[in-house]
Amino acid sequence: MPPVGRVLVCYGTDPRATIAPNTAWSDEEEQALEDDVKVLLIEDDVDAAEMYRLRLAADGYTVVTANDGREGLRMATDEAPDFIYLDLRLPGIDGFEVLEALRADPETATIPVIILTNFGEPELRERGLRLGALEFLVKADTTPGQLSESVGRATGPRPSPSA
Amino acid sequence: MSDTPSSQTEFAVISEVSRELFDDALRLATQIASSEREVPDASLLMIRGGLLLCVAESRPHRHPVGCGDQMHPGSAAERAIATGEVAVDAKGAVIPVRTEGAVVALITVDSERAADLSAGQLEQLLTLASIVRGGLSHDAIVTALEQEAERSRRLDRLKGEFLNIAAHELRSPLGVIRGYASMLSEGMLPEADRGGALARIADKSEEMARLISEMLETVRLEAMGLDLALAPVDLAEIIAEAVHVTRPLLGNQHRLVVQDHLDSVTVVADRDRLLTVFTNLIDNAIKYSPAGGEISITCEHDENAANIRVTDEGIGINAEQVHRLFTRFGRVVTPETSHIRGSGLGLYLARETARLHGGDIQVESEPGRGSTFTVMLPSQ
Repeated sequence: MPPVGRVLVCYGTDPRATIAPNTAWSDEEEQALEDDVKVLLIEDDVDAAEMYRLRLAADGYTVVTANDGREGLRMATDEAPDFIYLDLRLPGIDGFEVLEALRADPETATIPVIILTNFGEPELRERGLRLGALEFLVKADTTPGQLSESVGRATGPRPSPSA
Repeated sequence: MSDTPSSQTEFAVISEVSRELFDDALRLATQIASSEREVPDASLLMIRGGLLLCVAESRPHRHPVGCGDQMHPGSAAERAIATGEVAVDAKGAVIPVRTEGAVVALITVDSERAADLSAGQLEQLLTLASIVRGGLSHDAIVTALEQEAERSRRLDRLKGEFLNIAAHELRSPLGVIRGYASMLSEGMLPEADRGGALARIADKSEEMARLISEMLETVRLEAMGLDLALAPVDLAEIIAEAVHVTRPLLGNQHRLVVQDHLDSVTVVADRDRLLTVFTNLIDNAIKYSPAGGEISITCEHDENAANIRVTDEGIGINAEQVHRLFTRFGRVVTPETSHIRGSGLGLYLARETARLHGGDIQVESEPGRGSTFTVMLPSQ
């Protein structure tokens, strides 16, 4: 997982020591930093996907969307996301199969995954967590704001816009 | 939907009552009533422990005697069950069959002149009741009760499964409604996106409302059957209205073509429900032909039946998946169709409705070429 922030360590005579550690990020730097966290939404409900995309983008994340399981797996490799939201009911292969495949591929095995579904049955939740999902969120009970916070929990705090 | 007396919810049809017994009963009742009417009807209704079992072989195309008409509060059937005595109303006479202090069956005689039954005729009916009592063996009742218990267990399983899927389907639009509402109230949405958000909230609210109606209709259908408000209706007129209602849903690329000069065809049907069948099928044709194309509606009929075809040039469905189309929540989700919203109940309700009218719905489809749904209805 790429870093979401930078720590400057300055030593004696290094010319870079002139950069103060707490210097505010320039706009370009801030943008570059925010672009660092890429979220993959694997979600077949295009209206829901668009809503989450709007919110996550507003919080500074880069969002890519896949509308079915196979496309999701392909994008998990091609786009190298830092984080994945995974729906369970998907056309073709379902979310559990996607999660298993993600975990089995060394390239994607460590990407944090949160299951985002409208199924709330405890046995599905247990199965998802057992397969390695970080969290199991029910869409109707999770506002886009709470959703965005869950990425933060997994990838570290976002820089404050005024930093 | 008209009000349905709650007593109708407890009906179950059994065929285990001895055919011979039934024929005897029918013959006797016919003899009794034939002096007054040309074609009488008779049937047996058994009740036991609150369970009402109907035997209706005499009139397969109609509700069993008493099921539809005579169980309303204050009806003769209800009085006969309550009092254990012969009861008569404007529609006929009801003779209770009693064993061990409980009414276990009803014999009904459909006759508008039942009030004029002579003492002799009543006597014969009571004799018939005693024949029936003797014929209702303990085994038949046990079998019927076991069947009812199995049916009840099956309904329970279906109910659990239905609830899970229903919850999922309701949460989908709800999640979007709540999500946009929270983003609007947090002021998270740029001005440019607010109109779109409100439109999504409106769409999703409508989707939820439709889903709730279809779910209620499904539950009613399975619990008690639909109470059809039957009357002679003109198919051409109903089709024209269905076209009118669905026309706003057409995309720019769609052409909705209705056969020229639709003949007026009279069918006996529940007008509103039949309208829903056709609007569902046209809506379906529009949704599953996202690239547009022609949607045609044709109707052919003879003296026995009318076939109405709704044909689209949409994405079609392969043969292995066709059987799922008409099951509850059986919507076939593929990468091509996943973005198409639907409750998964529309086609199920459409076919059940057609079947309740003595008809059916069939589908022919070819992936990539389109589908034809044919509604078959008995005509008059």
